[in-house]
Amino acid sequence: MFRDESPLGRTVVGLARMLAIAGGLVLLAMVAMIVISIIGRALLFIGLKPITGDYELVSIGMGFAVFAFMPWAHLTRSHALVALVTDSFGMRANNWILVITDVMMVVASWFIAWRLYFGMMDKFAYRETTLLLRFPLSWAYAMAFVGAVALAVVAVYVLGRSLTCALRGEAEPKRAGGEL
Amino acid sequence: MTPLMLGFLGLPAVLILIFLRVPIGIAMLGVGIFGSWLITGSFNPVAAQFKNLTYSTFASYSLSVVPLFLLMGQFATLGGLSAGLFNAAAAWLGHKKGGVAMAAIGASAGFGAICGSSLATAATMGQVALPELKKYGYSGALSTGAVAAGGTLGILIPPSIILVIFAVLTEQNIAKLFMGAFVPGILAAIGYIIVIMLYVRMVPGSGGVRERLPYSERFRALARTWPVLVVFLLVIGGIYAGIFTPTEAAAVGAAGTFIIALAARSLDRKTIMEACLATASATAMIFLIVLGAAALNSFLALSQVPQVMAAWVGEQGFNPWVVMILVLIFYLVMGCVMDSLSMILLTVPIIFPMMSVLDFGLTPDEFGIWFGIIVLIVVEVGLITPPVGMNLFIINSMSSGTRLSETYRGVLPFVASDLIRTIILVAFPAITLWLVWLLY
Repeated sequence: MFRDESPLGRTVVGLARMLAIAGGLVLLAMVAMIVISIIGRALLFIGLKPITGDYELVSIGMGFAVFAFMPWAHLTRSHALVALVTDSFGMRANNWILVITDVMMVVASWFIAWRLYFGMMDKFAYRETTLLLRFPLSWAYAMAFVGAVALAVVAVYVLGRSLTCALRGEAEPKRAGGEL
Repeated sequence: MTPLMLGFLGLPAVLILIFLRVPIGIAMLGVGIFGSWLITGSFNPVAAQFKNLTYSTFASYSLSVVPLFLLMGQFATLGGLSAGLFNAAAAWLGHKKGGVAMAAIGASAGFGAICGSSLATAATMGQVALPELKKYGYSGALSTGAVAAGGTLGILIPPSIILVIFAVLTEQNIAKLFMGAFVPGILAAIGYIIVIMLYVRMVPGSGGVRERLPYSERFRALARTWPVLVVFLLVIGGIYAGIFTPTEAAAVGAAGTFIIALAARSLDRKTIMEACLATASATAMIFLIVLGAAALNSFLALSQVPQVMAAWVGEQGFNPWVVMILVLIFYLVMGCVMDSLSMILLTVPIIFPMMSVLDFGLTPDEFGIWFGIIVLIVVEVGLITPPVGMNLFIINSMSSGTRLSETYRGVLPFVASDLIRTIILVAFPAITLWLVWLLY
């Protein structure tokens, strides 16, 4: 069930992929918005002006995009880690280490989503908005919450995947982890 | 247990978790949360903090420059700029002994001027340069060593994603840090070229030469790299002149390389989606560590470890230079097993205030720039030091028929040149700072 080729796997991978691409498109939209705003600022003398609240729009866009990137990165095991010591432990030990670290990711992602939910509820209650655009922060939190929930779901799936591998005694495809 | 003791246990705890293959961001996050919980004796403060901490860390204007620079690097790769740069460099250097490898270094330096990441530079240069190096009979050791080392120029020559993170972490001026990185970056490229000159003379048969090209063709090849120059001047010039914030500059750079990729007809649905996904993975990796660092730092601040350490170092009357050398050795050793960004985020919050109290004869501003650049260089050496150097792995996997041990051997002279350069830059802060003094 917890394999990337299974119906469940394909759905999860597809959703994470879509969300990551959506985040990427938001970044592209941010690029366009910033460039337009710069042009407006440069051409003040012919009556154009920079986009009001460009700073706030970037921040809101980042909130959505970075959360939206998280499920994809976890699914494809892009997070930075150090495998130097554990490489000498053999496959079985490594399989179970992966299971344990995946449990930690489940706990972390659920904790983050749980707290973000209450943060969002606070923003709804206090009707807090951004300074210039009066954009409700509750909506900004809600957009970020999409990614946070997706990460919580993906983390469970990834745990299922590594647990399946560990129980069957197969190695998950090895990845070296991230680097700049 | 006192908060201070908990704080001092925090770092070894993070390191143990990291060496047990816990993702670095999660290790920092976990220790940060548990540490704060233990110090305050209640879970409520941490729980309340995380209502907003994750969102405010991710939705950060100053850190938005990170994904935008990553996007810029993706489009620069798609735009085929690496091939143009390599052809231009090879036209000028290719006929010299070891010249094709030197061209790979020169082209990496050029690509580094529009790309803030080391791995992207190494990967895209590897695609272009490795086949050419093979064609002209360069040994696998020299080829892979040179391209892997050249990749580190991607992050040293501004723009640099790691410098952005360092600037945000230590509240330094990004523009000044970029200017400070410029001369050391050029010195690195020159150092690598000298290494190649010596290498091909000491190991006969490790590299051949191309035919000499007339100057008309050399200039033509050079002229074709103008888009790189335009984007670089817009981004770095714009930041320096104060026309753009770093985020705006990164957006302009991303737009510029997008247009170049569009003109090269390499943008379609598939490549744009792939650029988005690659940016997504790298961004998420960085921000998970940044979040972990935020949690860990608020725990360390509660424990007062940074203040106590800084005060202690100040009182001991240590020789600043001895401390500096010890810190750099620590970074070099850690760099052999850990990635550069994690190292910076994990250690700088403690080490930077500690080093700031020492007197190197520099103003706090100058010290921040100088120390940032030196740390950047030593952690980047980690990318090309065996056994764990991501650049080595990537380049080695791209070069069929070269054993990893050959790559390890081939890169060692380049590591040596990095070490020599580090010593020079530590001994003479003015080399790093003169451009900053000149421009500001």
